[in-house]
Amino acid sequence: MSPEQGQGSQGIDLGGIIVAAALIVLGIVALWDTTNMADADSFVFPRMVAISMIGFCILFIALQMIAPSIGTNEEAGVVGGSSLRRIGLVTAMVLAALLMPWLGFLVSGALSFAAIMLLAMYDQWTPFRRLVFPVVGIVIVAGFYVIFAELLLVPLPVGSLFG
Amino acid sequence: MIEYLLQALTPFHIALALGGVIAGTVIGSLPGLTATMAVAVLVPITFTMPPASALILLGAIYTGAIYGGAYAAILLNTPGTPSAIATTFDGFPMAKRGDGDLAVTLACLASVVGGLVGALFLLLLAPPLADVALAFGSVEYFWLAIFGLTLIAALSKGNLLKGLIGACLGLLLSTVGVAEISADVRFTFGSEVLLGGIDVVSALIGLYCIPVLMDLVATSDKHLKVTHAPRGFRLLESLKISWRYKFNLVRSSVIGTLVGILPGAGGSIAGLVSYSEARRTSKNQGEFGKGAPEGVQATESANNATVGGGFIPTLVLGIPGTPPDAVILGALLIQGVRTGPNLFTGEGSIVYTFIFGLILATLLMLPTGLLIGRYAYRTIITVPKAMLVPTVAFMTIIGTYAIRNSISDVIIMIVLGVFAWILNRAGYSPSPIVLGLILGTIAEQGFVQAWTIGSATEDLMGMFFGRPISIAIVLFIVFTLSYPMLKAYLVRRKEKSHVA
Repeated sequence: MSPEQGQGSQGIDLGGIIVAAALIVLGIVALWDTTNMADADSFVFPRMVAISMIGFCILFIALQMIAPSIGTNEEAGVVGGSSLRRIGLVTAMVLAALLMPWLGFLVSGALSFAAIMLLAMYDQWTPFRRLVFPVVGIVIVAGFYVIFAELLLVPLPVGSLFG
Repeated sequence: MIEYLLQALTPFHIALALGGVIAGTVIGSLPGLTATMAVAVLVPITFTMPPASALILLGAIYTGAIYGGAYAAILLNTPGTPSAIATTFDGFPMAKRGDGDLAVTLACLASVVGGLVGALFLLLLAPPLADVALAFGSVEYFWLAIFGLTLIAALSKGNLLKGLIGACLGLLLSTVGVAEISADVRFTFGSEVLLGGIDVVSALIGLYCIPVLMDLVATSDKHLKVTHAPRGFRLLESLKISWRYKFNLVRSSVIGTLVGILPGAGGSIAGLVSYSEARRTSKNQGEFGKGAPEGVQATESANNATVGGGFIPTLVLGIPGTPPDAVILGALLIQGVRTGPNLFTGEGSIVYTFIFGLILATLLMLPTGLLIGRYAYRTIITVPKAMLVPTVAFMTIIGTYAIRNSISDVIIMIVLGVFAWILNRAGYSPSPIVLGLILGTIAEQGFVQAWTIGSATEDLMGMFFGRPISIAIVLFIVFTLSYPMLKAYLVRRKEKSHVA
């Protein structure tokens, strides 16, 4: 989000208030967790930060109640769009990461690439696209595999099913 | 000096500088691969080289990687490296309106100018400037980190409180895992996934890139709206803009060099400070955040100036200015070069040949940066969405995994990304959160050390507010926080007087 976004509309900033309230809860949980820490060096900084965050959140909510025009926001990013595709994208990425230890980097990467490609496809699947897109996808996945595993020597998972 | 210049201009050194800049730019442009990683991965190549050649190669990789971070920031709204955070503010809006090619060329020119200014400071003023780094103690670093956070919060115009909340959240996230000072386990709630803490670069990728991908996949709209035919490099236009805002360019480069001298501060603070200054002094303040070329110029010149600036304490004091400097310092030690105040006199041939090599690499960044930038831009605007989205998603996964070879990091990255998408909807910017994460370690170390010393001497107030540099930084913080309100008050007063 650019620094200019998130401002300008009139009225109460409900989204901002809900997030601030959630962060107050998070701050309280963090404060509670610091009571389990034995060393003062461990808890003094997080406590200060958590208290500051709670304070700013309370101030924000209070200001919204008193003068809603201060610091109000308009939504950032694309408004609307397909929520199912968004969920699909996140699910495909999470599954790719979770299946990597079993399927290996290449297979899970190729599968997630294919799934996300289907989700992001808005044009018609012509015979050319049906042939070229998967081939290019395989080349990209394999190319990154070579760069990371062979050139940068990153130990990418082979997969317990194959290894 | 001439002999060192000639040594730097041998075909071997020119080839090293060129290769280093190309490798660095490409690596830096990939989200997840930072300048530190680029330098660290390629360090072994230098072990068989003479020290000056090794330094030239590593310096070229470093400077190229810092510039390379601008591509993803401008074209994907994802900073390729943490130092390009502020580049997203105006770079991405420029790309969205069809001026991505102009933004990339402007970033290249600014990076070259910034890199040259940093290298010139290193050449001419290194020993006296290194003393600045020594003047900063733990409490000063704490305040410097807080200054960086207040700057980014204030840059979220009309959203100061949300920016501060985001900064606190980032600081809190930086404390997750095993505490560096006392080794206590914090905020993991029994989860082994969180034991290693939240990696900054993984968080950066998740917070910036995942929301963009989620919005890209949700609609059939093109990623960047380009309605015109390719317009080449737009070099003449960029040169005109750069000349028009030459003071911004020089000021940002000097700020970048000075911030780079401070160990640990790095390109992200340098970019933000110069961006803030550029906006404050600009006649077009309203354009900032909507695609102001001055914003891109300020950030990119500043972050590349930190390269030269960071080498000042590294070479003169043996204190690395930035993480890549630490890797380069390690490489120098392996080479048997002892850094310190006598390096410039005792090992002049190495140091000065390297500095001229760094200047050469910075100049070579212009043609290589323009060519790679043009290719990156054309790729982004021509690749169909069905190829672009999976490719970027795949890059985020592999880039995050490669940092610590950890699948947990990938999951954390995706979770943070979804969280950032929700926060974006509520008007919370990811930038303060990311900067909080980046500066969390510096802030905590400074705070705890100052707090411990202050408690032991029973002078906490004096420790935090009694030292001259601390007072100066605190005053800057107060000014940064009050400036938007002060400005709004003055505008209202002016309007009232006009009405009267």
